[in-house]
Amino acid sequence: MTKIIVITSGKGGVGKTTTSASFAVGLAGRGFKTAVIDFDIGLRNLDLIMGCERRVVYDFVNVIRKEASLNQALIRDKHIKDLFILPASQTRDKDALTLEGVAAVLEELSKTFDYIVCDSPAGIERGAQLAMYFADSAIVVTNPEVSSVRDSDRMLGLLSSKTKRAEEGQPPLTEHLLLTRYSPKRVARGDMLSLADVNEILAIPLLGVIPESQAVLRASNSGDPVILDKESDAGQAYLDAVGRFLGEEIPHRFIEEKGNWLKRIFNLKERETV
Amino acid sequence: MTVSSLAVEQKPCFQFKANFLPCTVLQILYYNDAILEQQLSSTLSNSPSFFTDLPVIIDLDKMKSQDAFDFAKLKEILLANKMILVGVRGGNEAQHLSAVQAGLPLLPASKLSVTEVKPTKKEEPVVRLTKLVTTPIRSGMQVYAKDSDLIVTAAVSQGAELLADGNIHVYGPLRGRVLAGVQGNLQARIYCSVLDAELVSIAGYYLTKEDMLKSPLSEGMKQIFLDNEQVRIEVL
Repeated sequence: MTKIIVITSGKGGVGKTTTSASFAVGLAGRGFKTAVIDFDIGLRNLDLIMGCERRVVYDFVNVIRKEASLNQALIRDKHIKDLFILPASQTRDKDALTLEGVAAVLEELSKTFDYIVCDSPAGIERGAQLAMYFADSAIVVTNPEVSSVRDSDRMLGLLSSKTKRAEEGQPPLTEHLLLTRYSPKRVARGDMLSLADVNEILAIPLLGVIPESQAVLRASNSGDPVILDKESDAGQAYLDAVGRFLGEEIPHRFIEEKGNWLKRIFNLKERETV
Repeated sequence: MTVSSLAVEQKPCFQFKANFLPCTVLQILYYNDAILEQQLSSTLSNSPSFFTDLPVIIDLDKMKSQDAFDFAKLKEILLANKMILVGVRGGNEAQHLSAVQAGLPLLPASKLSVTEVKPTKKEEPVVRLTKLVTTPIRSGMQVYAKDSDLIVTAAVSQGAELLADGNIHVYGPLRGRVLAGVQGNLQARIYCSVLDAELVSIAGYYLTKEDMLKSPLSEGMKQIFLDNEQVRIEVL
């Protein structure tokens, strides 16, 4: 069964596209045939992060309008053979997406792919709603600050009401929290929300914590998703998150200041079970 | 001139039209000419103009088990009281026969005669089910319990809104807006365990978070109610 994953957040600039790229690479790296779709029509970015911007000929909107076939529009990733990218159109706006069109594309992809990763645009409008509509799983990307947490909370509300699963009364999609740009040092200083603060408000299972890292910006600029940078903390954190998504038990890292994190995780785990 | 051309040229000389004439039903409960004549004239004397030229149907529904009687005499009494007899309905075959003999047309029986007095249904006690929500109410979501109470067993996020015509109970952390008695029920109350709401309101009277922070409360179950147009919070 093909699994459709939406990477969403509500707020912009929190790391949805970075997460989509790294997750898609991570899943494909595990041998799953994976497609990643950029739903951010008009603000195309995924191709840049994936380093395939120079090979874009046709895009998602062309496929929806039947101006190109899906195979023509899908771009094979330069690193991993099981990974394909469906870029967004830069010249249209989000109204070019239709529910029927998105459904048809996802259905066709489902015939051959194991995972379809939908990179949602920011906001709660049409593009974001279509990105989440057919999802089986949602990864809610949140930064440890109040406005991002509130927007994520809003997205979780929409995920539980405005998706196909919700409307048809099927079992709800699985929700995962991915806390990005986390800096234990700033949490300790009190200028950033802690993992516990975020957890208390959103109260959904934690998939991983991606530390604030220079490697992310470097990866974006070079067009190689940060998960490929296995030396970096952010790259390792994404590898862990992909593993957890696939059901592996991996202890959380990067959530406390370096040195005594192991002890503190233990405390946190205890707190979570209360 | 042929017959067919005649038919074409002639204007229709009649048309059928549905109409509902007001018609009074005179239900005979038992028959006795003397009593009938006497009672009728005394009733009519109260408002003679009302009964003049009044179309009347004689109803024999209550007479089914009785013998035929003198319809000619009955007709005479009614005509003498200036009523217009339309016809007879109900009753048994012998009565029908004598009615026809007296020159009174038979009308189809009233449908109502089949449905005698129905036993009135006992009124069921009205039980308004309380609206129950067990999943988190996220920012931007709104839950309204119309005509009832609302119970929420999960968290209510900032930016979420709970509304009820009745009382509201929240067992998860309450961080959103909560409005009880929105249709103006001054008796409505709000109960919650963790009060961190942006706004609480009873029947339109409200406290904002800022108001609530001015007088911090101890931990525990809270009751929010209206006391003399003032929203009050009390630790139970």
